[in-house]
Order: sequence, then structure tokens, then C-alpha cells
Amino acid sequence: MDYNEKFEMALEKVQKAPRYTGGEMNTTVKAWDEARLHFGFCFPDTYEVGMSHLGMKILYGLINRESWSLCERFFMPWTDMMDIMKAEGIPLLSMESRRPLRDFDVIGFTLQYEMSYSNILAMIEMGGVPIDSCERGENDPIVVAGGPCAFNPEPLADFIDAFMIGDGEDVMTELNRVILSRRENGWTRGKCLRELAKLEGVYVPSLYDVTYEADGRVRSVTPNCPEASPTVRKRVVVDLNTTYYPEEIPVPYTEVVFDRIMLEIMRGCTRGCRFCQAGMLYRPVRERSLEKLTDLAEKLQEATGYEEISLSSLSSGDYTCLPELIRTLMKNMKDKRVSISLPSLRIDSVLKESLEETQQVRKTSLTFAPEAGTQRMRDVINKGVTEEDLLEKVRDAFHGGWNSVKLYFMDGLPTETEADLDGIADLARKVVSEYFAVPKDRRARGLRVTVSVSIFVPKPFTPFQWAPQDTIETVFAKTGHLKKVLNIKGVTFNWHEPYLSFMEACFARGDRRMGKVLRRAYEKGCILDGWSETFRFDTWMEAFKECDLDPAFYANRERALDEVLPWDHIDSGISKSFLLREWEKSRRAETTKDCRKGCNGCGLQKWKGVCGYANAGGT
Amino acid sequence: MRILAVFEKGERIRHIGHLDIQRSVQRGLRRSGLPVAYSQGFNPHILITFAQALSTGACGKREIMDVTMAEEVSAEEFVARMNRAMPPEMQVREARAVDAKHPSLMGMVRAADYDLTIRDAEIGARLAEAIPAMMAKETIPALRKTKTKLTEVDIKPLILSIRGEANHVFATLVLTERESCKPQMLLEALKQAAGIEGEVRMLVTRERLLGEDASGVLAPLETL
Ligand code: SF4
Repeated sequence: MDYNEKFEMALEKVQKAPRYTGGEMNTTVKAWDEARLHFGFCFPDTYEVGMSHLGMKILYGLINRESWSLCERFFMPWTDMMDIMKAEGIPLLSMESRRPLRDFDVIGFTLQYEMSYSNILAMIEMGGVPIDSCERGENDPIVVAGGPCAFNPEPLADFIDAFMIGDGEDVMTELNRVILSRRENGWTRGKCLRELAKLEGVYVPSLYDVTYEADGRVRSVTPNCPEASPTVRKRVVVDLNTTYYPEEIPVPYTEVVFDRIMLEIMRGCTRGCRFCQAGMLYRPVRERSLEKLTDLAEKLQEATGYEEISLSSLSSGDYTCLPELIRTLMKNMKDKRVSISLPSLRIDSVLKESLEETQQVRKTSLTFAPEAGTQRMRDVINKGVTEEDLLEKVRDAFHGGWNSVKLYFMDGLPTETEADLDGIADLARKVVSEYFAVPKDRRARGLRVTVSVSIFVPKPFTPFQWAPQDTIETVFAKTGHLKKVLNIKGVTFNWHEPYLSFMEACFARGDRRMGKVLRRAYEKGCILDGWSETFRFDTWMEAFKECDLDPAFYANRERALDEVLPWDHIDSGISKSFLLREWEKSRRAETTKDCRKGCNGCGLQKWKGVCGYANAGGT
Repeated sequence: MRILAVFEKGERIRHIGHLDIQRSVQRGLRRSGLPVAYSQGFNPHILITFAQALSTGACGKREIMDVTMAEEVSAEEFVARMNRAMPPEMQVREARAVDAKHPSLMGMVRAADYDLTIRDAEIGARLAEAIPAMMAKETIPALRKTKTKLTEVDIKPLILSIRGEANHVFATLVLTERESCKPQMLLEALKQAAGIEGEVRMLVTRERLLGEDASGVLAPLETL
């Protein structure tokens, strides 16, 4: 029986078979032999998560648009399917033409979340490709990866041949052309990797040697061949209006996490929250024009039939012509019965009228992310929201008929004290009072305030990259305190177990040696770590022990300011001196202004013509 | 006016459940740009009904949707536009325009034609051969599974016609709200008659839905 037949049998036995069967509207199935380059796009999580991801849809369309390349999708199977595949010898197969991963010229992973790393190893291995980069031969595919986690590529350096740093739209095609040359010119694998290293924004870890201090800190990361440059500079797409954006996207049959059109209205963020890695990595801010967006919305709606459009960006409320954009979209979409999900922070008076008129906006729960409970703490993290701002918006929402509010916070932030935790409860209580201040006959019934507190994870390329994470014991103690103070009528408290955040912290700032821990944990059975039912913390701890490494060294240690950080050879455009300045200001609870009010000299201003706000004053 | 359209649920997507198929048809209608009618009210939805849910895991050759249109549309145009808007596994085979007063098809289903393809050719042949022996019995007991219980039913009167051919069993089975014989129930009865134990893999294809015409004769639902 061939593997296709066996796969069909497996489909009859597993839960949620449709996540493996493909054939969705707007997917592309090209004739295999007509393409000269075959790209296997791997999302290292389940179908439902992967199909909700915008970046994948962009690159899928972009690669398939070229006549010479084809792109097919791969997702991480759930454990039931994986068990059958392993037992029956079924390789990891693509959604489109059910080809094994090993048949592709390039295998590309998107790195959205550290806790998907074990899935990467599982997918490579199930795909019939050697897990270790150094074990791959002349007939094996080139394994590449990109996405936000690629900015600290070191924990995956043993497994990924080349990383793409920064925006993928331009570098993707350049990389594919080089790999095509490997095939067509008969280059050796080594030659191909050295050629890849010449591309701006491409990091080939095997071309760099890492040395360590006796205590385990990194001493140096240096290139071992002339093609590799000492620092790898991230790619930036300067003009979002001219860069590729898909006009049709796959429409899953089954419901996925974000089952709607996602319209990326801008990239980057000017606010400069100090904990936020995306806010630093995706600088500078770049907006798509109103015309481009209304045109895209129209085309995407026609191509998908979706009932909902959501505006996607790090901070949609900051989009320059937001009211106009929303009004135009609502007008164009009214007859098509398409609703627009709004960025919750901008239910302002300009919009209120048209909202009430059209009822096109779903009264789903409103979300706010004050992130911290006291003004002092919000100043430390440079979250430019005041309590007044927040309460005013909540008030508007309650008057506008909303009854459900979600508040997001973090605990374990640098300099946090008990007063900051109590502040979370105070804020929740004030939100409750705002609701009861609306006359009974004018408010929606059934108040629901949800307070979610996640655990702070220090990330590279943020001002908090030197900060320790709270130990697991401390987090438990703080959670216990929060449970007590958040015992408020009408308020639900959601908290997180610290184990996953602890592991996330280890990988986020890990060095190359973390690759050994990853490999060991994978061998011991760790996969699908992002899912609580499959996450096995104890096994991870055993893996650390067996590799003779201490997780606290990565998670809970405050870095010295002059220490070589494992990702120092990656150039995000943000200068270390800026991050240091921000780190020091945070210790004094001093804020930094929004870049729209003037440049703060983050380093990007040195890249001419990249940041539109760079010459607006400031340093 | 309404359009009665015959569409396919292809083999590749046979594991998609009924609700997801319904949603996919609705999105297809929205993509097609056809002037479909929407319900009034806060959450408007397309006015559409489907005759008899097809179970997860089964393909359908001629499934039926009944769509209310806001404006006149010809059957040809409906088919052409839908087929541009639907994935290859869910193409529309034909359509018929009827007026608003045409009876609803939902309640008219009486039976369906099935093709049970047994994956293992040899076992399939043995099952096909066992058909006469099974049908010769006075009663054919089978177990009906519902969410809460197992009940025994005699499926003999529910098998309206049956024949075997190589590894296929073609059968017309009663399918109403009140009583029905599921393909799986028939398979179990055949296995018993053929003396076969263990799991037998089969592909179920519902070939067409049948209703009764004015004289009480079974006819394809979409022609009624
Ligand atoms: S260059 Fe200046 S304006 Fe641009 S992101 Fe950096 S600090 Fe902000």
C-alpha cells in the first residue's frame, strides 16, 4: 500500500480530518513538473492556527504568483494523526498535492512563537529530512525560516540552514532564485549556503562560530567565511502600497481561529512600549493608503465571500485616516452584509453615529490592554495610556450598549511591587463602577469584566532584553495575591501557569546551546508545547539537566550591560545605545514620546529614507 | 423566485461536516455575486435550505440546495457563476428555476441511492455475493446508533432495492425523518450474511436523493 492509501485510512480514524484534506477555495495546485522551484511552506502548529496567519497567506500568494515557483502548505499534525503516520511510515504531506516534504527544494518555516520549535523538528523529521543541518546532503532541501522569532535565530541554528531577517516580501524571491540556481547550476549545498549569505537579510548560522566564556555567557559570534558579514541587517519593505499583498486568500471549509479577511492597514508601531518586541522589530511605521486598502478589501471580499473584515496592525487606532477608512469600508460593504471589526480603542464620537445607524459593527467584547495597574508601572513600560483615557473609553462603550470588557495585564514587569498588582484590582473596580453609573434602562444587561494577566517574558531587541524574568515561585506568589484582590463581583480573573512562559523566556533569549536542549526534549517526546494538553514541563527540565544547562541562566538572570548577547550579530536597525537609554529611563519611570511627535533616535534614522518620521525632530 | 441546484460533495472533502458544507455554499454564493435574498433582522443570512444532511465521511454526487433569489436569475447563469465561485470539489451540476410557491424539497425526501464501494476488492466481492442470502431472510436486524442508545431495527423493509457488482453494493435505502437505513447498518448486515468479521473499509457515495411524484413513484428529488 502506498502512503497515499495509508493516509486515506488514517483520515478515517483521526479527529478533525478536514484539517488534513485541503482542496479549499483559492488554494493553488500547480503542475509539479511545470515549476522549476518547489517551496514547502511549513507552519509549525495546527491547521487552525496556521490558516489564521496573515504572513503565510502573503508568502503563499507571492511564491505562487511567479510562474517558475510553486508553494504548497504543510501543518503540524495533531498527536493522533502523528502516531498513525509514524506507525505506518507516512511522511509529512503537503495540503495541495500530497507530496512528502523531502521532495521540495526549499522548506520554509514561519517562526511566530518560541514554543512551536519542537514542532519544527517533528515536521522536518516526519518530512524525511535530516533534523540537523550538518547532516543534510546534496539531495536534501534547503531549510529556511523567517518571522519575528528569527531575530534571535541561535536556538534553531543547528536545524535551520538559513534565516530571513525582517520583512519577507522582497527577500523571499531573492532567496528562491539562489536556491533555483543550486538546482540548475548544480551548485553544492555549501556553495548555495554561501551564496545565500550574500543576500541582505539572510543569516546562515553554519558560517558563524560561537565561543563562550567559562560561565556560559557568549564571548563572540564571528563569521568563518568571507561571504558571511559580521552583522546581518534586517530587510525592510519601505512602501506597503507597492509591495505584494494577496487579492485572494484560501478560505478554509472548517472554522479556524481567525476566520475572516485580515486587512493589514499598517506595519510597525510608533508607541515604543518597552516590553513589546513586535513594536521594535517592525519599525518603522508604514501605512497602506486608503485607496489601496479599500481596493484590497473589495477584491478580497469578492474572492472569499467572507462576512467579516478585521483591520490588522499592532495599533490600528493610530492609523492616520482611521475614521475615514472605516466609514468608506462600511459604506462599500453594507450591501454585501460584511461587518467590520474595529480596533476597540477608537469607538469615539466620530464613529458612534454611523455605528448606530448601520449596526455593521459586532458588539463583541471590547478589549483594552493597559498592561499594568498603576501609572508608575505604565510609565516604566512606556505604555502611554492613562487611567482617565481608559475609563472614558469604557464609559463610551457602556453607553453604546456594550456589556463585556476584557482587560489585559502583565505581571512580573521590571520594578514591579505589590502596589502595582493591587493597581490592577483598583482599575477593574473602577471599570465596574463605570458600568453601574450608566442608568439601568440605558445599559446592556449582564456586565462581564475579564481581567487576564499574563507573565512578562523579556525579549531580544527590547529595552527589557537585559531584565530577569520572575522565577516560577515568585509568579505563583503574585498570582495568589492577584486572586485575592481580584475577587470582585462581575470580574473574572484569568491567569496563566508560569511554566510555559518560563520555557518561552529560555528560548527567547537563548543561545546556540539551547538547540541541544530542544533536540533532547524532542527526542524525549516533547511536541505541541503551545497546547496545555501536550506540554510536558518536567520533560523539558530533564532535557536541560541532561544537556548540563540551567534554565534559570536564560530566564531569570539579569544580563550585564556590557555582555555579548547571543543575537548581537543581528542588526534590527534599533541601536543598542537606544535600547540602553530606554532601559535606564524605565528604571526612573521616565516615558519616551510617540515617534509621531518627533524622532527618538532609535537607530533607524541612520537608514536613509526608511522611517518617515525620522526627520520630524528629536535626536 | 428560487433556484434548485444540484451540487457535488467530492471525495477529497468527504470528511467535511454538514454545517461546514452549508457555510461553504453560502460563501460561494457570496463570491458568485448572484442576487441572493437575505433574511431580515440583526444577523441577516442567505435564504437557503439543504435537502437532508449528508454525513461526515460520505461523498455526494447530487446533493440539493434550494436558494431564494432577490431577482430573476436563469438556471444557466446560476450554474456558470457558481462554478467560478466554488472549489473544484463542490461544483454545481445543474439548476432549475422555480417560483416561490414551489413546495419545499426538505420534507419530500423519501429515499436515496447509494454506492458503497468496498476498499478491499476481495471482501467487496464476497459481500456482493451475500446479497441474495441476506435478502432471502425474513427479517434483517441491524443496530441503529443514536447519541444515547442502540436500538435494533429490521432494515429489510428499508432496503428498496439492492444489487452487487464487483466490489460495489448499489442500494436504494429509505431516508425519512422517521426511519432510515444508514449505509453502515447495511454493511453490518451484509458482513453478517457473508460471515465477515472485523473492520471493513468502504467509501459511501450518495448518488441521488429521491422523493415521490404525484403517483407515488420514486423520482429524483430535483425533478419534482
Ligand atoms: S527613526 Fe525615529 S521616528 Fe523612526 S522609529 Fe526610530 S525613533 Fe521613531
